[in-house]
Amino acid sequence: MINFGFSINKPRVIDIDNNNLRKSNEIILEMPELQACIGCGSCTASCTAGNLTDFNFRKVHTLVRRGEYQGAYMELNKCMLCGKCRLVCPRGINTRGIVMLIKRKLGDF
Amino acid sequence: MTFFALFCIPFIVGATLMFLSVVLKYFSWLRQLPTSDMILIAKGIFTPRTLSAVWEIVCESLLHRRIFRRNVVLGYMHMSLAFGWFLLIVVGWLETLSYLGTEWVPLQGHVFFKYFVPLNGIEGHKPLFDNVMDALLLFVLSGVTLAWLKRVRSRLMGMRRTTKHIFFDRIALSALWFVFPLRLLAESITCAIYGGGGFLTGNIGTLLSQHIDADVLMALYEPMWWMYSSALGIFFVAMPFSRYMHIFTEIPLIFLRHYRLRPAAKTKSYDNFEIEACSRCGICIDPCQLQSQLGINDVQSVYFLRDRRYNMLQQKIANNCLMCGRCEAVCPVGINLNTLRQNSRTTMRNIPNEGRYNYLRGIDLSQGEGRVGYFAGCMTLLTPNTMSAMQRIFEAAGEKVWWADKEGSVCCGRPLKLSGESDSAQKMIDYNKSLFEKHNISTLVTSCPICLRVFREDYDLQGIEVLHHSEYILRLLQQGRLKVGYSAEQRYTYHDPCELGRGSGIYDQPRAVIEAVGILLEPKHNRRDSLCCGSSVANTAINDAQQLTIARSVADELEATGAETIVTACPLCKKAIARGTKHSVSDLSEIVAKNLK
Repeated sequence: MINFGFSINKPRVIDIDNNNLRKSNEIILEMPELQACIGCGSCTASCTAGNLTDFNFRKVHTLVRRGEYQGAYMELNKCMLCGKCRLVCPRGINTRGIVMLIKRKLGDF
Repeated sequence: MTFFALFCIPFIVGATLMFLSVVLKYFSWLRQLPTSDMILIAKGIFTPRTLSAVWEIVCESLLHRRIFRRNVVLGYMHMSLAFGWFLLIVVGWLETLSYLGTEWVPLQGHVFFKYFVPLNGIEGHKPLFDNVMDALLLFVLSGVTLAWLKRVRSRLMGMRRTTKHIFFDRIALSALWFVFPLRLLAESITCAIYGGGGFLTGNIGTLLSQHIDADVLMALYEPMWWMYSSALGIFFVAMPFSRYMHIFTEIPLIFLRHYRLRPAAKTKSYDNFEIEACSRCGICIDPCQLQSQLGINDVQSVYFLRDRRYNMLQQKIANNCLMCGRCEAVCPVGINLNTLRQNSRTTMRNIPNEGRYNYLRGIDLSQGEGRVGYFAGCMTLLTPNTMSAMQRIFEAAGEKVWWADKEGSVCCGRPLKLSGESDSAQKMIDYNKSLFEKHNISTLVTSCPICLRVFREDYDLQGIEVLHHSEYILRLLQQGRLKVGYSAEQRYTYHDPCELGRGSGIYDQPRAVIEAVGILLEPKHNRRDSLCCGSSVANTAINDAQQLTIARSVADELEATGAETIVTACPLCKKAIARGTKHSVSDLSEIVAKNLK
């Protein structure tokens, strides 16, 4: 196959009907403010860890809310909890609290 | 001579149980101390530090000097109970000594001496002792009255709020309150029947004998002593498990503190001494802004220590604290509240993970060359004005600078440590430390007090002087390498960042820098008493609206000074306060850069 220097994501479906949303619901119940996220990506843009790696907080918490827990804990382990994301969030979401909450809830995954 | 009556049993049982539990507790805590702490004790014990510890015990455990400084009535209340009771014991012992010489008297013989005097037919009434003992009893009773009053109207003693005690503490508290009135009654009835007594018990006794039949008095006599002994017994049994454990624990704590033992990032046995030395006086409640601004009533240090002591600490309580240190600054026992809070979080959250932050390896985004390094810190990267102001200052001073993190950095590790992941934070500390050493700098300047604190406390940077930019700028001004224009028309007010002021003890340098460019107006709360901006990285529990409420209250106070510009020396405080005010908020470096000549 010709190498074009980039690849295409494998096609996949997030089936919210079949995903186990128990943890996701628990997370949202504990910090409902996460639902105020507009997905602007400011958190990811300002992220200290995101500057050095491909860590993407917006992606992680969006997937977690949809019940896609695989790898979320390991990804969040890249976070340094420096708190820049909290300062830039236009919705005033307590992002550091969210990181800690998701890690606590998904410790097993 | 007999020194035993049935009513002594509650007292004897209580005192024995108390003695055993206290000794067992101290013994097990001391035995579990890490070796490094043992060595510190061994090094300190035969030095003058032991003597200064004794002096502090007299001043604090007995006289309560620190509480006196806070409020005279509150100080008197604590002193009358502690010092008064202590003197009652000492003078009571001298009294038996003077009557009986060196004869051995069991403990209850000293405590219930007034009861045993007629029983043993001891002759020779010594009015001096009776009067002194009565005066001391009155002294203690005045303290008990004030303690009652404090429950009703705490504002009389300068406290807006007092501690909400748990049931067990209330039992101990009630027993303690009853000890002294019951003692007065028991001794007065004894005087009514047998005569004698000083100006208080003697006169009340005479009064009683005039108005109450001798039969009734005789019937009340034993029960009164029973009640007094029982109140003492209940108090003694409850003491080691209630807040009153502080009475004894403050003594070993003061010794250990003088031997330089301190709580650390991880919990250790020494913490028990600090935790159980908390008297739950509640002085830490009023300064807490989570209480005064947000009405949160269950997270203050007094409740945190209580929950930790009884192993019922919840993560949400431990996490909900700004760690601003306002409580630590007023604590009359001098407990290291922030460190204890931090190491509790570590116990609850620290999950060592060797692979974590492996991606840091080999990263170096620094720029420039120079013996002076500048570490902006994450928060300063979000306040680019501070950074460009620092650049102009460096240029004006002709300093060659190595920029550690202009193009992004690795966090200093303090936020992670404060949230309870000390082991992971260590990886960032190691990374940054090796980065600083690699670039061979001699001075490290940072404009973020959060970074400054961790650099100074945890980095162990040999041969590198760590300076906050306020210290650095002041040094440049004093050396004449920086010239600024002074304007008497510019009025500034200064907000002390918690990590810089209470955390690192830097109060004067930023003020000196401001006074070099204009007039400085002080807000109501300043220096050690300064308020927290509310956005502290230590708190992951409060939400945005709550942070804003605190920021507004702080901004209101700063605006009230009438200054045009609010100055602070922390990028996080700057961002927080700017949200709560329409005035302009500047970093210290900005006002210097603006007035450069």
